[in-house]
Amino acid sequence: MRRFSWFNATSIALGFAFLYIPILLLVIYSFNDSKLVTVWGGWSTRWYGELLQNEGILNAAWVTLRVAIVSSTLATILGTMAAIVLVRMGRFPGRTLFSGLIFAPLVMPEVITGLSMLLLFVAMNLDRGFWTVVIAHATFSMCFAAVVVQARLYDFDKSVEEAAMDLGATPLDTFRQVTLPIIAPSVISAWLLSFTLSLDDLVIASFATGPGATTLPMKIYSQVRLGVTPEINAVSTIMIGLVTIGVLVASYSTKRASERQEREMKAVDAGAK
Amino acid sequence: MSGATVQSATPAQPKSPLRTAAPQSGFAPWKDPSKAPIVRFENVVKRFGDFVAVKDCTLDIYEREFFALLGPSGCGKTTLLRMLAGFEKPTSGRILVAGQDITELAPYERPVNMMFQSYALFPHMTVEQNIGFGLRQDGMPKDQIATRVDEVMALLELGRFGKRKPHQLSGGQQQRVALARAIAKKPRIVLLDEPLGALDKRLRQTAQFELMGIQERTGTTFIIVTHDQEEAMTVSSRIAVMDHGEFVQIATPGDIYEAPNSRYVANFIGDVNLFEGKVVSISGGFAEIDWGPGLARFKSVAPEGCTGDQQVWLALRPEKIHIDLDKPTDTSNTIPGKVVDVGYLGSISHYHVELANGQRVKALRTNSSRTVDRPISWEDKVWLQWPAETGIVLTR
Repeated sequence: MRRFSWFNATSIALGFAFLYIPILLLVIYSFNDSKLVTVWGGWSTRWYGELLQNEGILNAAWVTLRVAIVSSTLATILGTMAAIVLVRMGRFPGRTLFSGLIFAPLVMPEVITGLSMLLLFVAMNLDRGFWTVVIAHATFSMCFAAVVVQARLYDFDKSVEEAAMDLGATPLDTFRQVTLPIIAPSVISAWLLSFTLSLDDLVIASFATGPGATTLPMKIYSQVRLGVTPEINAVSTIMIGLVTIGVLVASYSTKRASERQEREMKAVDAGAK
Repeated sequence: MSGATVQSATPAQPKSPLRTAAPQSGFAPWKDPSKAPIVRFENVVKRFGDFVAVKDCTLDIYEREFFALLGPSGCGKTTLLRMLAGFEKPTSGRILVAGQDITELAPYERPVNMMFQSYALFPHMTVEQNIGFGLRQDGMPKDQIATRVDEVMALLELGRFGKRKPHQLSGGQQQRVALARAIAKKPRIVLLDEPLGALDKRLRQTAQFELMGIQERTGTTFIIVTHDQEEAMTVSSRIAVMDHGEFVQIATPGDIYEAPNSRYVANFIGDVNLFEGKVVSISGGFAEIDWGPGLARFKSVAPEGCTGDQQVWLALRPEKIHIDLDKPTDTSNTIPGKVVDVGYLGSISHYHVELANGQRVKALRTNSSRTVDRPISWEDKVWLQWPAETGIVLTR
């Protein structure tokens, strides 16, 4: 154990304070009884009740949830496929370009991704709405999903798949019975990551959306411009809760999978001695 | 030693096969022209880009053989095995199993099963599910699968571990599960890729005999890839020694050891002393070898097609050299030297002897009696002697 030092303790406290005091304030003020956001008027869950009456926010929340579920499912499927191609297909012409194209959106400014999406939808004469937001979100979260699944596939002994084929399983059976069950934890974390990314995206959704498909972040943003109401605090608190749960579950399942893998590796090593 | 008396009166026929001390069994289908091979590699070539992994290999393997592909890493032995399993496609040539061309078949369509070096067990399945995997792919009814899995688990003494996952097993148990899975479908041929490489030495020796037992009881053809020459010698009916993608020699373990066809094979299998020299004359099937000015010439059985004035190497196994403090009465192939190193291993002793020309020779002596009047020690002047039949004259 390292010795306790006042310097370390202070820097950790300052760092956490810097990161979490604003969020903590927001959560506390969501339980404020007062109508004014900045004036404390005692504890109450009044604004959570009011939130349930606010049709606009509820609609936006429902749209957001549906977009997140559909787009993260799409992103996970596409991302997993891309990861398999990158890890398993070996060298093929254009592999470097392909991997570059998959991972570029990771570092691409969201404004550019959003704008290019908008231009595409306009050029294709697509009615913007729910599905265009889904496509846009699936596109940018797919690369995150690919990164997560790819990491797992790299640690995965290829001969396990060869063994399945050697024992008579077709490539499809091999994927279903062997590959997918083994990479399942990383596929689940990829889905959860995509889900949270979609849930709190504002920029790309603003570009890709159309009438009738306002997501929650967009709704909050437009309301804040007219002045922050305590209701916004309440809805934000709920979102923070959802995202936190998503990230925690994702990191926990990844951690557990890697721990299990380590254990399996140790078992093999122990056998080798 | 029965071959100690030199019978120079009856020179060995150059054409007759060398008599060897290695055990011979009656099983030798490769000598029987009426037998058709179960596996045939026909002029198989495999290139990876510019690198030639396998160069024009032709090989027949017969039913019930335990065939070893032996060579250093990168010699092409694993590539050859993977081509038979269907994971690699030959660049040219054909592979036949029981007369049928399987070159174009996918891995899951071939009548061969493989045991992988890493075992490649399915981590999310129990031992039973692992062993039954291949049977499930064939759509075998559930009760029959259970019967067969029990049978194989009994054969490999895995009965207690059926419900365990691979990571709950020791290395030796994992190795047995991998073998059980490979034989569960009763394939015509079982391929083993360095199957015992992950085990420690003692466990490996037990596992070698287990492998032989399983192979005998199932009556299956086994093809093993290994870089461990002792392992190949122990388990196999025949060995193909490979180097740089080519077969150097294909023969029984006994012939590989006692009649290697090249310096490469002689060096790769066991310990050997090599003397470089020139054949000066051949008479009565024996060659006289000049190996340096002022040194007594060697006499050895001449290989087929050996001509005078040819550069040759005389290969001598250390255990075939007699080492003695007194000059032996038989003077053929007798050279003096000085002991520079002694390794006492209990049952045997190793001696490193320096000759007049500075070359070092390894000799071996069995310590058959407990007490010796005067043991051979460092700096001792000794005499080395061997009969003309024990040296092997190599031309390459």
